[in-house]
Amino acid sequence: MLALVLVLSLTLLAGCGSKDDAKQDAPAPAPTGEEPLKIGLVFDVGGRGDLSFNDMAYAGLERAKLEYGDKIEIEYLEPAGSGDNREELMRLLAQQGYDLIFGVGFMFTEHIDKLSKEFPDVKFGLIDGYIPDLTADSNVVSLLFTEHEGSFLVGAAAALKSENNSIGFIGGMQIPLIQKFEAGYMAGAYYVNPDIKIQSDYIGTTGDAFRDPVKGRELALSQYQRGADIIYHAAGASGTGLFEAAVQTGNLAIGVDADQSLTVSEAQRSHVLTSMMKRVDVAVYNTIVDLVEGNFEGGYHMFGLAEEGVGYAVNDFNREMMADIVDELEVIKGKIIDGEIVVPVDMEDLAEFKASLGN
Amino acid sequence: MNYKYKDWLMQIAFTFGAILFAMFIGSLVIMFIGKNPITVYQSMLQFTFGRSDSIGAILFKSTPLIFAGLAVALSFRVGLFNIGAEGQYFIGALAASIVGFSLQGLPWFIHLPLVILAGMAGGMLWALIPALLKVKRGAHEVITTIMMNYIAYSVVHYFVADLFLDKAQNLPKGYGSPMVRMPKILESARMPTMHDFVGIFGVEMPRYIYLNWFFVIGILLAIAVYILIWKTPFGMEIRAVGQNPHASETVGIQSKKVYLKTFLISGAIAGLIGLSDLLGYIGYMDTDFPRGYGFTGIAVALLANNNALGVVLAALLFGFLRRGAEGLQAIEQIPMDVVVILEGVIILSIVVASQLMRRYFKTQEKKREKESQKTSASDGDKEGLENVE
Repeated sequence: MLALVLVLSLTLLAGCGSKDDAKQDAPAPAPTGEEPLKIGLVFDVGGRGDLSFNDMAYAGLERAKLEYGDKIEIEYLEPAGSGDNREELMRLLAQQGYDLIFGVGFMFTEHIDKLSKEFPDVKFGLIDGYIPDLTADSNVVSLLFTEHEGSFLVGAAAALKSENNSIGFIGGMQIPLIQKFEAGYMAGAYYVNPDIKIQSDYIGTTGDAFRDPVKGRELALSQYQRGADIIYHAAGASGTGLFEAAVQTGNLAIGVDADQSLTVSEAQRSHVLTSMMKRVDVAVYNTIVDLVEGNFEGGYHMFGLAEEGVGYAVNDFNREMMADIVDELEVIKGKIIDGEIVVPVDMEDLAEFKASLGN
Repeated sequence: MNYKYKDWLMQIAFTFGAILFAMFIGSLVIMFIGKNPITVYQSMLQFTFGRSDSIGAILFKSTPLIFAGLAVALSFRVGLFNIGAEGQYFIGALAASIVGFSLQGLPWFIHLPLVILAGMAGGMLWALIPALLKVKRGAHEVITTIMMNYIAYSVVHYFVADLFLDKAQNLPKGYGSPMVRMPKILESARMPTMHDFVGIFGVEMPRYIYLNWFFVIGILLAIAVYILIWKTPFGMEIRAVGQNPHASETVGIQSKKVYLKTFLISGAIAGLIGLSDLLGYIGYMDTDFPRGYGFTGIAVALLANNNALGVVLAALLFGFLRRGAEGLQAIEQIPMDVVVILEGVIILSIVVASQLMRRYFKTQEKKREKESQKTSASDGDKEGLENVE
């Protein structure tokens, strides 16, 4: 009964709605030379404020806006809690005549694949996702990183710095992407010290794992209690819990994606050894620059150690802490770039890598 | 007949009051973030009703919520709180997905029904455990179903990211990340969309609207559930146990059996929740599979006062709100969190208004009963009975 009335009222409201104005579903006119380029970005779960992956993407967008001012117009969106309206949000941006739209995270892969065919005139930037058979003429650029290489370096840093010979890793969800961080980190640590003890935990089994600081803190506390004195996280916004635990127990933590020494609170700063930088901001910024300058190319852009797409952070806050190991890390970095060290990307590779160290 | 007309007006008044109240609170929120509420509301309505694609999108978005609302409402009728529709549909979708990609070479008219049955079986299986715990050991179903939800998420993760991870995505080694998903469901198990059907009536629905036949199945199921509850002996038992299990025992109804059966049916319906997305839209099970329908289903059932047909309308309201939310985000640039607040305010005020309304009708009902007792033997008012419950 009630519901019947609801629908009645809805239809009434509908009447009001359609009275208002002319329709607006006509496609936006193609941008002319004078009009600013419209650039949109849709976040992954965790969204803005994770101080990590998503915020890095935003930083790239913001930097482009600062530099190009009136030439571009930016807009960013966050999918609903469960993330099931990603595709719809992107489509709405595309329909409004956006010129370039970023999907932050590999979960956009299928959606961007679909949308790029639906909107051949719109350019898409896909972070971490791989769509096969892209060419320079495609309207999709796939922005890919070698997280395992960067993680290898911070793993080496952790092993060099650990006093207990015991370190830890906290991942968000156990998926291939995060396992890349894990495998690289462990390999780096074993490379420095084959006998090191490494604990590893994952936060959850849904996207919420990347925004659960409470669980992040609990896992970190438990790892510290069991002897780890340095923990690296690849858990997005959940990582803030790790920094709290590090302060509470007087241990060290390693940040991820962004240079997290810069974003944590003052009290936490001295507890951040370094961060594994994944320069999503550079990837986003460069793609926007290419578009504005008229050099946009589809295909794959690789961001590895050599391209400074990943790496470890040294800043005013950790320079002293890192001073005694930077030289060694640079040597290892050189070896990875030269191909002398092949960093494992998953647990199978890691086992092989570890075995090869024995000889 | 006279008072019915008056009731009807009252219902409209209450609902409009609720919507106006919600809009008022929403305006405050919108003003707080520095936007003009009138333009925001205007564009939301224009977006949801002024575009050819939005109607289809609303129907598509309401489809899973119809199943969710029905599953929850049915269990509420027997006095059980099935908070576990969430986990049940995850397991249902998982089972459907496995049957969907593993059985090759079947024609669609065998494969698709098999997949749907697998979904129902999955949901039923996940409901069986709390149901048994309830009738055998008296464990409260709210606790057990919530726990089963967590287990379901983890089971699905294990299947999707480990056991059945689709490795046939040729990534360059070390670069990027594969989709964390199971193999794609075969064409023979996909639910056709309704484009061709609405085309008969000259309606051209854009290709990217995934409205499919599960919407129709949902409405038919709502009718079936309505008949089950109101027109069958078993439905009478459900209602009796729901109102007073002990009294039902004394008249020879085995309440435990009724609990078990109803809970299993509820689970089977819940198993269908995810299939519209799985078979009509996404086409594979992944770590990103839409979550939360089971919980929204609770709100849908409450809003509909556990009335099966009301569930359809309440689900449509939610579909409308969700579509509107997308417009607010993408066109009016309202942040997601504000959209969530707005949705919450609207639902809350409608629930409060409907409770007030129910009380009002209850007192009216009693007044009338007294009057009719005075005047003559009353003619039983079936509608009234429904409202009282």
